[in-house]
Order: sequence, then structure tokens, then C-alpha cells
Amino acid sequence: MNASIRLHQVCLDLPIFDVSAQSLKKRVMRLGRRNRIAEDNTGVVVVRSLDGVSLELQPGDRLGLIGHNGAGKSSLLRVLAGIYSPTAGTVEVHGRAVPLLDINLGMDDQSTGRQNIRLRGLLLGMGDDEIRAKTQDIADFTELGDYLDLPLRTYSSGMRLRLAFAIATAVDADILLLDEVIGVGDASFQDKAARRLEQLHARAEIVVLAIHDAKVIRQSCNKTLWLDRGRVRAFGDVESVLDAYSRHVAA
Amino acid sequence: MSVLEMGFADLAGSLRAWRLWTLLGWLEIRQRYARSKLGPFWLTVSMGVLVGALGVVYGTLFGQKLTDYLPMVAIGLVTWTLFSSTVNEGSMAYINSSSYIRQVNTPRLVYVLQVGWRNLVIFAHNFVIVAVVLGIFGVKSWLTLPLVIPGILLLLANALWMGMIAGLLSARFRDFPQIIAALLQVAFYVTPILFHGAMLSQQHRWIVTFNPLAYLIDVVRQPLVGVEPPASTWTITVGMALGGGLLALWMTGRYHKRIPYWV
Repeated sequence: MNASIRLHQVCLDLPIFDVSAQSLKKRVMRLGRRNRIAEDNTGVVVVRSLDGVSLELQPGDRLGLIGHNGAGKSSLLRVLAGIYSPTAGTVEVHGRAVPLLDINLGMDDQSTGRQNIRLRGLLLGMGDDEIRAKTQDIADFTELGDYLDLPLRTYSSGMRLRLAFAIATAVDADILLLDEVIGVGDASFQDKAARRLEQLHARAEIVVLAIHDAKVIRQSCNKTLWLDRGRVRAFGDVESVLDAYSRHVAA
Repeated sequence: MSVLEMGFADLAGSLRAWRLWTLLGWLEIRQRYARSKLGPFWLTVSMGVLVGALGVVYGTLFGQKLTDYLPMVAIGLVTWTLFSSTVNEGSMAYINSSSYIRQVNTPRLVYVLQVGWRNLVIFAHNFVIVAVVLGIFGVKSWLTLPLVIPGILLLLANALWMGMIAGLLSARFRDFPQIIAALLQVAFYVTPILFHGAMLSQQHRWIVTFNPLAYLIDVVRQPLVGVEPPASTWTITVGMALGGGLLALWMTGRYHKRIPYWV
């Protein structure tokens, strides 16, 4: 299986229904600067969160996404995951793309650790055999032992995090889409987590990683995409893009 | 892919993911009754009290024989609950699952099927009442009894397509859950659940004749009270399931891509 990603001139307009167009329009006019917020013809406020993004990734590529908050990093990951369909442009994704956007997704308090493993696995599209095969691996990693048979509500926040992280990173994906999941847990756990993430990266053919930490990008990526207000500001090898970005941030 | 094909593709994908929606449905029930001794059987108890109270009060009020009236009300209420809560909760299917929909790309109808499954499980709990009532007052005819199974499936199919449409409309326009709940409330009173068609005078029969929901209730109720549903009942309920199902799948296909934006 050869995974690949090809985006051509992708635009994404997100409608925002719970904001009154009227008052927001006023606020935007008061700000008086060029903005990305507009109204569509039914009066719903629309935010253009991706604007003409083109990009191509081959097997072996490790892409780091950088940019300010709200630059469109998460939106891009969601487009790649097939959650959002683009408003314009084409998206071609070959291979099984697994998004890990929120590591706490689908954690149920009343269910035991094991049942949570199953729930999360099913949500990510795993079959029963695959889940059974993964359960032991997850149990070993979390070191939760008998706690796995107790309901989640009895867990400490650290235990909860370890379980969530272990489940999230147990997937086999051709394309892995990560949103700032690194940097969780206490110090002793972090080393272990970092090693596990490396293994996860190694299993996937393509990794796309949205993260603020330049160090992590240097360690694990071979390409970097700098998003600025939904547009591609720079795309290329890690050092040149990171340099340009840090100059921009410092300025 | 045409719009309708997309709807069918989503349905097929959703059906294949049956492990997911059955699990999600159970979780919801478990959450609701976590740590209570009777668990979902509380539903059975409260439904039993309701059936007893309404049966006796309205039976007396309408001057009906309790031996006929009580089974009718019991079956009617249990069946109506399956129908109305599937449609009602269907309207919240996408809204309540927004965290899933925005994080993973699962087939969409999984969330509607989850509602259907949950209510079928609850229906199974409530059905204890029907069994008890039939046990006390006697089964009229064992021959018609098996027909209840296609009847329940038809009712559920119709409730599900209405739930699909309700879910889509409600995700986009947040006033719909309220509108749907209000409509269902009215429908309860004009549908023969606490009364039956024969109790209406000739000039008011149209209330039942032109009420599609009356046929949906009948297709489940009649086999249980020893009446074989007439061909017209089967035709109308099957026709509704097919027509409505196609419309719902078309709409699901049409707005498939929009759902993550709406929730």
C-alpha cells in the first residue's frame, strides 16, 4: 500500500451558526482591518479557515504544521482525515488516515478501562480481532494492571491520561494525523510517551503533525508547512521554513 | 456518486459498523441507570404504573371492558414509546454526537442507528408489561402472534427514517427538536392509543383513516390482540417505509458533507 496525499487549491469555509451575523459584522467593521470573516448569502457568518492550500506528500514524508493559533492547522488535519469536505479544490488521500485530534475522544466514565479500549478502537474503525490484539499491548504500556477492570471514574487524572494516550497511539495507520498530543503527562511518563510516539511514526507511511514546538519538528519531520490565516506561507524543508517562521515571530 | 448512492453507501457502512452503534447505544442506557439497582427496569416499572393508571381511568371514562381495554392501552403505549422516542432522540442524534463527528470520520447513520438500537432495547424492557397483561387477560389468538415481528420491524424502519430526517433538520436548525417534540405530543392524542377507531362516530372516523401513525401502531398492536392486520395496513406501512426511507437516504446523501459543519 502506497499512501499519498495530494491537495490542490483547497479552500474551506466554516459556517458559524451560533453567532449573530449582525453583531459580529459590526464588530468586524469596527476593527476595520482586512478580515477573513464574511457572510454567505443566507446571512450565516462564514470563516475562511483554509485558502488555496496545495500540497503533496509521498510515503516516508513527515510533515510538521506550524502557525499561530487559528491559522488553520486543525482544519487542515480535519480535511486530511475526511471529516470536513473542502468548499473548493480537490483532496486525494490514499491509505487509511487516522486522526488523533483529541486524545480524550470517546472516553466513557462508567465503563472500565478495557471497555474504553474497545469503544475507542471501534470509533477508529478497528475490527474485533484487531482490538483484542491491541488490548494486551495497551495494558502493558499503561501499567494500570487490575485498574483496567475498574470504571474510568475511579482513575486519577494521570491514569486516565495514560490510558487515553495508550489507546490513541495503538492504532495502525497508513497516514497519521496528530494534533498537539505530545507533551502530556508527568516527566517519567513523557520519555515513555515519546518512545511510543516514535514507534507510532515508524509504523505509518505519512505523518502530519500540528505542533508549536520547533524542537519536536526538527527531531521528527522532514518537511514543514507554515500556515498563516489559512494560506500557505511557506512549504519546504524543515530548517528554512522554521527560520522564516522564527524571524516572523520575533519581528 | 449520485446523492442517493451516497446515502446508500453511508447506510451500508453504518450497518457494517454494528458493533459501534450497539455499544454506543448500550453505553447511553448504562450511563442513565448507572448504579441504580433496577437499572433500565425502572422504565418497566414506570410504564407499568402508567399503563395501570391510564387503563383504569380512561377505561372507566370511556365505559370500556377492562379485559379488552387494558391490553390495548398497554400495547399501544409501549409501541408508541418506541416510535416517539426514536424520532425524538433521532432529532438529537447528530447534535449529541458532535464530539465524535468532529473528531473521526465514521459513517453518519451510525448515530441514528444507535438511537434506534437504544430504543429497541428499552422497548424490550417495556415489553415485559405487554407480556404480563397478555398473561393475565389471555392471548386471543396464537396464530396472529408471530406477525408482531414484521410489525415491529416496520414500525422501527419508519421511526428510523423519520429520525434520520429529524436529525438532519435539527443539526442545521436548532428549533426543530422543539417542533418535533411538540408535533409528537399532539400526534399522541390524535392517534388511537388511548382509544380505538371503532369508538369514534362514523363522521369522525377520518381521524384514524387518514392518520398514517394509526397504521404504524396497528401493525404492531393487531397481531397481539388476535387480529390479522388487513392488507391495507401492510401496504401503507411498507409503502411509507420505502418512500420515507428513500427520501431520508437521499437527504442524508445530499447533506452528508455538511453534517460536521453543522454540529
